[in-house]
Amino acid sequence: MKMNLVTVVASLSIVATIVWIIGLGMTINDQLLQESSAGSPPASTSDEAEQSSDTFLLALGDSLTRGTGDLQGQGYVTYLLDELKSRSDQSIQLSNLAVRGYTSEELLNQLEQTEIQRQIAQADMIFMTIGGNDLFQGGQALSVDSAFIIENSTETYLENLEEIYSAIESANGDTTVYHLGLYNPFNQLDGAEMTSSAVRNWNNESAEIAAKFDHVVFVPTYDLFQLDVNDFIYSDQFHPNNEGYQLIGRRLAALITLNEGGEGDE
Amino acid sequence: MINLVHNELIKLVRKKRLYVVIAILAVLVCLFTYAQMKQVESMQERLGTLDWRTELQQEITNTQNRLNSSGISDEWRGYLQIQVSQQEYYLEQDINPSAPGAPTFMRVFIENAIDLVLPLLVVVVVADLVSSESSAGTIKMLLTRPVKRWRILLSKFLTMVFSVSFIVLSMGVLSYVISGAVFGYSGWSLPILTGFAVEGEELVTTNVRLIEQWEYILMELGLSWFVGITVGAITLMLSVLMRSTAAVMGVMLAALISGAILSNMVSSWETAKYFFMVNLRVTNYISGMGAPIEGMTLGFSLMVLTVWGLVALLVAFITFTRKDVY
Repeated sequence: MKMNLVTVVASLSIVATIVWIIGLGMTINDQLLQESSAGSPPASTSDEAEQSSDTFLLALGDSLTRGTGDLQGQGYVTYLLDELKSRSDQSIQLSNLAVRGYTSEELLNQLEQTEIQRQIAQADMIFMTIGGNDLFQGGQALSVDSAFIIENSTETYLENLEEIYSAIESANGDTTVYHLGLYNPFNQLDGAEMTSSAVRNWNNESAEIAAKFDHVVFVPTYDLFQLDVNDFIYSDQFHPNNEGYQLIGRRLAALITLNEGGEGDE
Repeated sequence: MINLVHNELIKLVRKKRLYVVIAILAVLVCLFTYAQMKQVESMQERLGTLDWRTELQQEITNTQNRLNSSGISDEWRGYLQIQVSQQEYYLEQDINPSAPGAPTFMRVFIENAIDLVLPLLVVVVVADLVSSESSAGTIKMLLTRPVKRWRILLSKFLTMVFSVSFIVLSMGVLSYVISGAVFGYSGWSLPILTGFAVEGEELVTTNVRLIEQWEYILMELGLSWFVGITVGAITLMLSVLMRSTAAVMGVMLAALISGAILSNMVSSWETAKYFFMVNLRVTNYISGMGAPIEGMTLGFSLMVLTVWGLVALLVAFITFTRKDVY
């Protein structure tokens, strides 16, 4: 019995040794000796993307969509999703592709990726916040002499925004884009007049661009945070807290009606 | 010679070390299978979808969010950036890098076991090959036989090689059989991308090509085996030099763990790349995850491992044939 076991272990080991040496040889051959002979990028092996009948929500943009500052949930999209789910027994999918710190430029780059475009093509509704980082440059309070910078960044931002809208439209002409406007997180600080007017202008001009597109809805948030801004702002003095996000979520939910079989089917 | 090796194998089997190794592997695989299952479940619950593209994109976005937050070390940032570019490339090619199935689990398990778990198991088996004979005194009986000393050590070396092969084999079989019960046993012919190169923080994809998963796994197992042999050779040397098995294990443990820690922080200490323990993650070269130190390549790492292994064997043989036994 003991002898048998030894024989089994021995023969298994010998066979395994040979196999592993072959594996090592393959590695060396494949990785070290044939490095230049490759270079034919693989062909796509696509199993056709199935269009599901579920309602598919897509969230794009910056930290506001990501939900930075919300310690309980994941930002307004989650509150919106909960609200929609309670209204309807359809199954709803949500994909949140927002990245904190994104500027309009970076969002535009992101939209070029195939996977993002695929998801846009499937989306019934798209929610988006963008521009906060263009305007406030990463959450730093505006100083008075930055008026010039604002002037400049507005122009590139508006150009980018128009391109973002058209990129979404060309990927999916049926989807509705809900673009959330900016609020002024510095409403109760010194220089509030300056920042408020900057944010108002910013919103107005964004809304003008949005008006050029049939499927873009510009949703203001300025008024939500106009009074008592500190009650709805997270301790970083910039992002909303969970109550702030709930406000935004409720505002969006009020705009949305779920048709049978999802929106944008016809 | 065959008799000597046979004799050594009998000792190995009698000592039941191999069972311990198999038991450790089985427990680890069960643990990881369960963890993986939970992860898949929670992901599906959160996204409400089974589509891997959506999942992978979500993973990319999560990583990008981490990259944009402050307080993240440069090494880790570089690693994450490469990971993101690679995942984006997989998405572009429409290839699922983690299609569910036992072979995929096996592949990832080997990648994660190669630098710590596998070497530790090898140490467990090899550490007392010689030292236990010294501490138990049986070395005298062995050496009084009319056999040349180098042949005795050679038989021990071959036993080491066989046990490494056996450990790698058990690792492959156990991870396949156990995880397959949960994830299904198919997926050997799934396409996997290899040939990524990393330059600085950029991922170069000019040489990328498709291979089937079984080839990839066989390559990984071959590399694991090689790593196991190197670690085994060094352990064998220590086992010759020291009489106490515990001391051998202690030294190897310290070396391996320091290697695991060092690879995360040595990118600025360039000469550290000549340590064997920093070069153990050789599977990273075929998956394209980048090396801990600039200038390390698969060829370089295999070279370093070979040199360490050969020097260790040389020292072991010279010491063993010359030392006085009393």
